[in-house]
Amino acid sequence: MNEMELLRELAQETPLPAPAELDAARAKLVAVIAADPAAGRVPAVAEATMPQPDPSDGQPAGPERPPAPAPVQDAVKLMYGGAAGTVVQLIIALFYVSDIHAYHLTLGGHRLTTAQLSDWRPLLVTLAIAFGLALIGLWLWLARAVGHGRSWARVLSTVLFGLATLQLIGLHGAAQVFWAMLTWLTGAAAVWQLWRPASSAFFKPARAMRSRRP
Amino acid sequence: MRQHRGPAADDAAVIESSRREPERFAVLFDRHAPHIHRYLARRAGREVADDLLAETFLAAFSRRDRYDLSRSDARPWLYGIATNLVGQHRRNQARQYRLGQAAPAESEVPGHAERVVADVTAQAMRPLLDSALATLPAGDRDVLLLVAWEQLSYEEVSLALAIPVGTVRSRLNRARTKVRQVLAGTNAAATYEEIATNE
Repeated sequence: MNEMELLRELAQETPLPAPAELDAARAKLVAVIAADPAAGRVPAVAEATMPQPDPSDGQPAGPERPPAPAPVQDAVKLMYGGAAGTVVQLIIALFYVSDIHAYHLTLGGHRLTTAQLSDWRPLLVTLAIAFGLALIGLWLWLARAVGHGRSWARVLSTVLFGLATLQLIGLHGAAQVFWAMLTWLTGAAAVWQLWRPASSAFFKPARAMRSRRP
Repeated sequence: MRQHRGPAADDAAVIESSRREPERFAVLFDRHAPHIHRYLARRAGREVADDLLAETFLAAFSRRDRYDLSRSDARPWLYGIATNLVGQHRRNQARQYRLGQAAPAESEVPGHAERVVADVTAQAMRPLLDSALATLPAGDRDVLLLVAWEQLSYEEVSLALAIPVGTVRSRLNRARTKVRQVLAGTNAAATYEEIATNE
């Protein structure tokens, strides 16, 4: 038996402390924690069983939130559907831009010439793609935020839906009108789901929890 | 080597969240306090272990913003703080420690060794080991005890004491050699072999 084994064997004579022996030290720590300026955001009694960080994104899960009710889940699905509908709209818009003729467009009361249109066409294509991608991103971002119970996302979705209604004016072509209407109806259904009583009950606690923070 | 934590435990996540919600730091206490307390009791005695345990976690709490979150296991960090506090405690009581432990031990050793043979109990080795440990430089003793008692790996001791792994190895070798020499010089090693043989 060497000196390391001897040390280990003799160390075994010191048992782990009884839980009560740690109470004094724990009480001192809890007192200092309570005095910390950032303390008080979650109930101290939850220390031993407080929620662990969400391993999916490494962020703390915070106080437990109930799962999203069916209307919110439906709204999220509809919003993902709206994003898909916008993809189709973007494709149709690109076909439309490539098929556009000079007599279709006027600028400042003057019809564009073919040469002018030729110059403008790359810009129109770029704008159509950028606008379409931004809309798709907006759908997806809001769907995710709504699914996480963000109250502001519900309000913003409703406002944007109102603005999107204006977009229906001035559409050309049956396919474009059809898909625009379909996407608009999807948005309308999503907004309706978001403002149902069950959905409101889901968003209100989230708002209340945030309002507790300084 | 890991002796007191579950495989899913992630101290870094707790410490990170405690920066926003300080109450979460208590989770770290609940996970590690028993073993840190035992380490402190072994090194400084039960009578001061409670105070040193509180100081360890208060120091850790105040330094949590500086914790390296890439280290999921906080044990080396906590043992490092505890070891520093033991060092402070020992320095505060250095005079009493040298007079009360090391010096008397040398005069008691021969007679004590004889009594060990009579008692045939490993418990009697403790004063001899204490004497041997008391002759070690503080840094060497810290390494030896973190490895032998707390079963930390060389890498964990390196993190705990903020020294290179190579230094951990060299200090450990030096400490073990010194302890062997002291035990041999007091005939304690032979005594212990005799005990082991008798058992």
